[in-house]
Amino acid sequence: MERLFINYFETGAIILFGVGFATLLLHNNLIKKIIGMNIMDTAIFLFFIAKGYIPGREAPIIQDVHKGAAGYINPVPSALMLTGIVVAVSITAFALALTIKLHEKYGTIELDQIMEMRGD
Amino acid sequence: MISLAMAKSFPLLILLILLISAFIMPLVKNNRVVKGISLGTMMMAAVLSVITMIYVVKNGSFVYRIGHWDAPWGIEFYISPMEAAIGVLFTWVAGLILWYSLYSLEKEIPSEKLPFYYLLVNVLIGALLGIVYSNDIFNCFVFVEISTLASCGIVVIKDKKENIKAALKYLILSCLGSGLFLMGIAFLYSITGNLNMTFIYKEVAAAQYVYPNVILISVVLFTIGLGVKSAMFPLHTWLPDAHSSAPSVSSALLSSLVLKGFVILLIKILFRALGFTLVKELPILDLILILGSLGMIMGSVFAILQKEIKRVIAYSSVAQVGYIFFGIGLASELGVAVALYHVFGHAVTKAMLFLTVGAMIETTGKKKIEDFKGIGKEMPITLGLFTLGALSMVGIPILPGFVSKWNLALASISAGKPILVAIILISSILNALYYFPVVIHGFFGEENLKDRVYKSKQKPVKEMLPVICLSVAVLFVGLISEPLIQLFSLGLK
Amino acid sequence: MNHMILQVVSKIMIPFIQVFGIYVVLFGHLSPGGGFAGGTILGVSLIFYRMVYGKAETRLKFPFELMMKMMCGALILYGVLKGYSFLTGGNHSYLPQLPLGTPGNILSGGYLLPLNVLVGITVTVTIYFLFTLFYEGEI
Repeated sequence: MERLFINYFETGAIILFGVGFATLLLHNNLIKKIIGMNIMDTAIFLFFIAKGYIPGREAPIIQDVHKGAAGYINPVPSALMLTGIVVAVSITAFALALTIKLHEKYGTIELDQIMEMRGD
Repeated sequence: MISLAMAKSFPLLILLILLISAFIMPLVKNNRVVKGISLGTMMMAAVLSVITMIYVVKNGSFVYRIGHWDAPWGIEFYISPMEAAIGVLFTWVAGLILWYSLYSLEKEIPSEKLPFYYLLVNVLIGALLGIVYSNDIFNCFVFVEISTLASCGIVVIKDKKENIKAALKYLILSCLGSGLFLMGIAFLYSITGNLNMTFIYKEVAAAQYVYPNVILISVVLFTIGLGVKSAMFPLHTWLPDAHSSAPSVSSALLSSLVLKGFVILLIKILFRALGFTLVKELPILDLILILGSLGMIMGSVFAILQKEIKRVIAYSSVAQVGYIFFGIGLASELGVAVALYHVFGHAVTKAMLFLTVGAMIETTGKKKIEDFKGIGKEMPITLGLFTLGALSMVGIPILPGFVSKWNLALASISAGKPILVAIILISSILNALYYFPVVIHGFFGEENLKDRVYKSKQKPVKEMLPVICLSVAVLFVGLISEPLIQLFSLGLK
Repeated sequence: MNHMILQVVSKIMIPFIQVFGIYVVLFGHLSPGGGFAGGTILGVSLIFYRMVYGKAETRLKFPFELMMKMMCGALILYGVLKGYSFLTGGNHSYLPQLPLGTPGNILSGGYLLPLNVLVGITVTVTIYFLFTLFYEGEI
């Protein structure tokens, strides 16, 4: 229990992950599902970046003087998550575009109503 | 020899050719040129992958660094015989499917979308090869995402109601999968501090006693995340919709190649990054074994209940992916090697089945199984090829389906679980139950006699030639089963 | 949205947005920012133009064909440049590379500056396309 409070970043990230996961799975509305997906992704980003954070050090940007490797946090997770954010953005855009198309064809974005309407 | 020394850079060259040439296509106005570029680049990739394969078999596996940085900082490709063989498989099957698509694709999708379709196919195959070749887990994740987006694209390009619904279902479930996969990477990175699989393997040996739970969590996340994407049994719900509503060329690509890319990534993570000895002690392999067996049986049961022929074949994919997971779950080297062999056999066979069924649907315009009674008289060659694929799926000797079932049975006996042989047998019988009626009614149905003209709906042989090549490939894969399985068990070390 | 006020304000604002976007792209290798962030800013300026002046006029200035050519050309060039760097690095062949320059100068960092510019072009076009597809259903 105590460990959960010490690693509060990770705990928060996992709780957020659970929230996103539940939203993605349990909601019927497609937009809410996509929001849940984004919350889940954000939780992973938070978790990953928390792994790279070292208390008391700076962001890895050299201003004026280079302080050596001991002066900065681990830049690798941040760089990876930058890629992850781009991927998440493109997937969100694609999912939203499909949702709009679906709304054009079916007239609703509630998943259970769509599933009831069998195709042609 | 200069050319063979150059072979080390060929995997990267294949990726570059495919990904760069993809973006030439929207600039070209003429669809014939687009088709030419697509087929030409795929053929180049196929030739290069064969040369890589020859090099690897002669000189053993090698590591190729990408860019100017060595391994823990930079990304690298690790090419063992397994990766080289899978590369050959992917490029050749994709090349044959593209060859088939030259004649049939325009009937299914509007011609102004054709360049974008070929763009997506090139990006998809490039990303899949990236998954296979790369030795860096995060790099694999990026390629996984690219291939997911591209495969959603080739499902949705038909622009019908069901396609959009299926693609959205596929997209949401695979986002779930990639989220879990990324979380798994985060856990693994936090205890090993590396993303390179070779280095993870070194670090994890020390970390497994300090953080046993973290390793278990990350392996479960990897398994479920990649299991969603490769249609492991209870997570397969997206597959039948997506594969049956897509154009038949896309179905062939999705079913024979895309599912396999993720399975191979799972095999690489389990047995290369974490290692046999570590994974054997975890309960995860038993879970994979149980889910694989369930998939083998339930996939076939669902397939029997279907009425549309493409859905039958899509559910059959669930059953066949079950075989692959069954092989992984046996946790013996033979089991995994046979699983990889089944990847081979299933890829060529399923591509052939989807293309023949696509040809039948295209010429008759019908989708239901009962409408295909007596089609053997109208399209004898097509149904003959379908029969060959069906025989392989059911497991008739010499054909790849039989070889992998036989070896899986052997592996499960040597793993001390002889009861699993019964599951393989039941699954084979169930396979026969849904493939043979199509064949038997097609060739010998009563409807053959009245008003059916012999060969009236047969497509010209020129258009069926790629499928015939695939059937030769099926026989070939069946015949060279021994060396292939040896090669795979070599590549896993 | 053919309002006088909007048109006048946009005439003043769009150049500033674009200059800022270009700044972020060009200084991506020296400071936070880069192709993705700068490209988004540039894309926003195009979206602003589209919202104020409407479909017809924007199409005259930024036709679909041109945008598509720019994006595909940028992607191809990116692939060729990065591929050259990868292949020469992987083969240990010491072929000429772009010079590294002195750190802190704008012309430094080898491939980073041209690649940032190419990413910027791609993201600009993508963001603009995404918006127009969501907003009006066509580009």
